[in-house]
Amino acid sequence: MTDITSDIAASRAHAESAFNRVTRWFVRHPPAVTAILIALVCVVVGSINPDFWQISNLFDMARSTVVRGLFALGVLVVLAAGGLDVSFTAIAAFVMYVITMLVTNCFPEMPILPILLVAAIGGAFLGAANGVLVSTLKAPSLIVTIGTQYVIRGFLLTFIGTALFMNIPMSMDAFGKLALFHHQSANGATSTMPVYVLVLVVAVIVTWLLLNRTLMGRAIYAVGGNAGIAERLGYSLRKVHIFVFAYAGLLAGIAGIMHVASNRLANPFDLAGSELEIIAAVVLGGARITGGSGSVLGTMLGVVLITLVNNVLILVGIPSTSQLAILGLFIVGAGALFSIKPRA
Amino acid sequence: MADSVTLESRAGTTAAASAIPFLEVRDLQKRFGGVQALKGVSFTIERGKTYHLMGENGCGKSTLIKIISGAQPADGGELVINGKSVDGLDPIGALAAGIETVYQDLSLLPNLSVEENVALTRQLVAANGSLARPLDRKALRQTAAKALSAVGLPTDPYFLSTPVEQLPIATRQLIAIARAIASDAGLVIMDEPTTALTRREVDNLIRVVRGMQQNGVSVLFVTHKLDECKAIGGTAIIMRDGQKITECDVAEQSKTQLGFWMTGRELDDKRYRSAPHSGERLLSVQSLGARSFDDVSFDVARGEVFGVTGLLDSGRNELALALAGISPARRGNVSLSGSVADLSSPAKAIDAGIGYVPEDRLSEGLFLEKSIRENVIMAVLDRLRGAFGLLDGRRARALAQKTIDDLQVATPDIDNPVTSLSGGNAQRVLIGRWLTIEPKLLILHGPTVGVDVGSKDTIFRIIQRLAGEGMSVIIISDDLPELLQNCDRIMVMRKGRIADTFDAAGLEEDALYRSMTAEDNSGER
Repeated sequence: MTDITSDIAASRAHAESAFNRVTRWFVRHPPAVTAILIALVCVVVGSINPDFWQISNLFDMARSTVVRGLFALGVLVVLAAGGLDVSFTAIAAFVMYVITMLVTNCFPEMPILPILLVAAIGGAFLGAANGVLVSTLKAPSLIVTIGTQYVIRGFLLTFIGTALFMNIPMSMDAFGKLALFHHQSANGATSTMPVYVLVLVVAVIVTWLLLNRTLMGRAIYAVGGNAGIAERLGYSLRKVHIFVFAYAGLLAGIAGIMHVASNRLANPFDLAGSELEIIAAVVLGGARITGGSGSVLGTMLGVVLITLVNNVLILVGIPSTSQLAILGLFIVGAGALFSIKPRA
Repeated sequence: MADSVTLESRAGTTAAASAIPFLEVRDLQKRFGGVQALKGVSFTIERGKTYHLMGENGCGKSTLIKIISGAQPADGGELVINGKSVDGLDPIGALAAGIETVYQDLSLLPNLSVEENVALTRQLVAANGSLARPLDRKALRQTAAKALSAVGLPTDPYFLSTPVEQLPIATRQLIAIARAIASDAGLVIMDEPTTALTRREVDNLIRVVRGMQQNGVSVLFVTHKLDECKAIGGTAIIMRDGQKITECDVAEQSKTQLGFWMTGRELDDKRYRSAPHSGERLLSVQSLGARSFDDVSFDVARGEVFGVTGLLDSGRNELALALAGISPARRGNVSLSGSVADLSSPAKAIDAGIGYVPEDRLSEGLFLEKSIRENVIMAVLDRLRGAFGLLDGRRARALAQKTIDDLQVATPDIDNPVTSLSGGNAQRVLIGRWLTIEPKLLILHGPTVGVDVGSKDTIFRIIQRLAGEGMSVIIISDDLPELLQNCDRIMVMRKGRIADTFDAAGLEEDALYRSMTAEDNSGER
């Protein structure tokens, strides 16, 4: 029986070229590619325009990763289970608008924590509806969530309202301004790192624990790897489906409130159209669009990369229209890179 | 090494409860629409014994396995596990009761690591299917390492964390078995475990099974390969048409007798080819080389049946793919009827007159949801062009019908999907597709993998008829009896080179096996 062992050891050691070893390492650690791309963008942009390295700019970017990051974690969890969710922006818009309206009109004194809690629960319910539909209809989740996205958005605009809320509830406004720390730059300008970036930090930790330290996490990857086999091995597809969509909905609900708090207004038309950008960020972070893979670290790197491209290319004088093209090239490049398989 | 798996709890209970059999199947019935798949099947699985569930495709053995492993409910009858009647068995329930199934497709999760594939089930069963539990990484690693060492696989952290999709098929097979024994199994069901393995790996598998038996684990094989059943030994449970025909000691019965019970008719295992073939040369392969084989030269005559065999790493598969233009060779050349053939893509190989029937017909060959008609004409759409370059439907239908009739595919309607066919019939559809291109050379890769005894016989007759009509046939296979029965000559490959070429007349299986496994002088790589 030892011959199999030694065979495997031998074939592993067997004259593997350095190139193959490097590709193999990258294939096992896809986020490394994302990290290299990020470093590359930073070095290039930073050497052309040193303003890039200013603390205020870094704070700006940290701020704008929060909503994207929350969305992306939800997309990651759904994608890892082999699904695709495009309804999260609609859920976020719905939750943020309804809650802003309710709090403003009925409970203007409500503090931020219960607001976040209600948003999370509301988002989770809407997401769970996606999960129930996907698992009951046995329909592709992309189609189901395209449908629910339109239904939720249409419902919001038809029955709830289209007017902007310029004066958001006090607690949300205060939370958006609350500083984690300040930084005084040499020219006297003050920049602020807001407390709400901690919401993303908590979400990252919780999602990581969920995916890596619970049976549910493993079940999510199992179902994403091959749903039929996972079912045969005793994993409940229904539980996994409902859970992942509810979880994505929960994060979307919280992201909606973060969006209002940081922009200081609630616009029901906001957030629409950013679904693909978020999915691209997750794929840039090394998750396969066909499911069963992806990591929290990679996803966060993907979000940073997308944010970088969106926010800093303007610093080196690239017009926003070509930024889009550069982002597209990154996505195509990453897609090609991650489809390389090491030779067995 | 197998002794290192000490299933203490099991060893303890076995002594006390040895009087009670592990599993009793009583009068099991199952109906699908109008078809009675199981018509009251009963048998008993004793502890630590080996069984072989045998029968042709469609005899009900898959249904039986699905019911025992909780994948499908029965319509009638009962299952008694450890003396207790169980009702409404689901996959988790079956696993909790100690029934482990190693499925034909192995049912490994490709994206998960080795340790997760081996040991996650145990935690899932302990949680009774609930997912709201922490994952115990340490226990996972320990359980996996113990089970893996019992089947002779490495247990270092690098191997444990390798995704299963990056491993070769023989290793995956052992991982699937390791999973089965990682969770204190009482009965391990192995559904055609040896279809993807060569003989050396089968020997390894048999050793693992012996080790399991010593620990009081019962094993139920589901298989078509009579030779292997006899090598393993144990009780044969033979089914036909949803009924149990008989139980017998598999070693005491002749293959002819077992085949008769399974099919209800006499099968012969005579050799079709008795004299060496002499015909004009069709194919000439000169010093062909690629990544995993090199310096391969041989000729095949018109009307000759030429066998190629070797272990999994021998390069035989890669040679087949090179001849089919799927992964072209890098060195050397191939001539057909005297002129050099361009085999740089599958389309060019087809143009040159080479038809290739792949090994894994489910994933590489057939479009399962499409109709039999569409599958047959797939390779000759160009030639069936009618007015305005559109497909000439009538000619297409006529060609498909003729091919299907020729090959005696059992189907009421060629518009039915391929999924409606049994394995043997599906294989014939695939062969039929390649006959429509009227090849000069037909390459059959594992032509009877997963095909039952009766269909095997029909496929062999088709091969012989084609050769008789002047077509050259190359059979690439690790089923040695199949090669001996069909071929004029058999070439053995070893570590990417030609090891020997034998005349099949009077050749014994052992000579082939020795040639396949001989150690060459270059030693360890």
